[in-house]
Amino acid sequence: MIFQIILVAFALFAIAHVFRQHRKQKVSVHWLVMWTILWLLVIGAAMAPQTTDILAQKLGVERGADLIVYSAVVILIYGMYRMYVRVGRVEREMTELVRKVAIDKADKPE
Amino acid sequence: MKVVAVIPAYNEQGRIGAAVRDAAMFCSNVVVVDDYSADNGGEEAREAGAHVLRHIINRGQGASLQTGTDYAVAHLEADVVVHFDADGQMQGKDIPEMVKPIIEGEADIVLGSRFLGVKANIPITRWVVLKLGLLFTMAVSGIRVTDTHNGFRALSRHAATSMRITLDRMAHASEVLDLIKMRNLRHVERPVDIRYSEETLAKGQSSLGAITIVKDILKGKFFDI
Repeated sequence: MIFQIILVAFALFAIAHVFRQHRKQKVSVHWLVMWTILWLLVIGAAMAPQTTDILAQKLGVERGADLIVYSAVVILIYGMYRMYVRVGRVEREMTELVRKVAIDKADKPE
Repeated sequence: MKVVAVIPAYNEQGRIGAAVRDAAMFCSNVVVVDDYSADNGGEEAREAGAHVLRHIINRGQGASLQTGTDYAVAHLEADVVVHFDADGQMQGKDIPEMVKPIIEGEADIVLGSRFLGVKANIPITRWVVLKLGLLFTMAVSGIRVTDTHNGFRALSRHAATSMRITLDRMAHASEVLDLIKMRNLRHVERPVDIRYSEETLAKGQSSLGAITIVKDILKGKFFDI
């Protein structure tokens, strides 16, 4: 019961936060909608955990809570992979930039 | 034929000046890439007569070599680029032999080897790590050489412009072997005299650095970054 309350409170906080960010024009409408839907689903699952069981059983998983944990792991690993590739690209671009500055400001002997 | 030496330097004050003068005896120009050192190595190299390029943040040895190579090709009209080191382990007197196969048109790239001809005073743990490196290279790059992680190499203008080192840190030696294979470059090995001193062993890469190198290579292969 306590965990459900914490979860709902956190979800409301996250939604409020993304609305505030959107008002400051820091996030796009697309992101606002996706983020809100995600947290509304979390609220739904927290208030009525049994409903997730129905979906879970359709997908061949016994309990809704398990389904959520499995999906979370897969999504997080995928996110990490994306991040890894992106960091690699940023590193490479940074090296190119550092290289350009070094060559442009070459210190030549007389 | 214009031969340009490229020397990556990270905190090499006290050694870099001598290395520049040593290389300059056998090259038209010397380029030192100061990889954001905390010391005054850049000044020292400058006083010794080198072109000095400065990385405004530290990017690693592989990145430094590529910076110096770009500069040598684009601004110094180098016909041959020699990758050399800053701490006196490599000997300038080996440069003419390294460059010869390129000048004679026999090769696009010449790799220095510690295991050909001259007997080097390699410490035993380093020897084991280097031999394991050979096996790893054969498995990963499918290229057979006698010494994989020797940074001493000479590149023809063609080789220098057709390959780019993208592994910024210490895995560049393996990457170069990969590139030789992929770009179909003609390569030969020449014996070089590498002198290990207590000072350079303390300052240089530890044999454990091999783990980081393997990690970088695999990362580069799997993630294509």
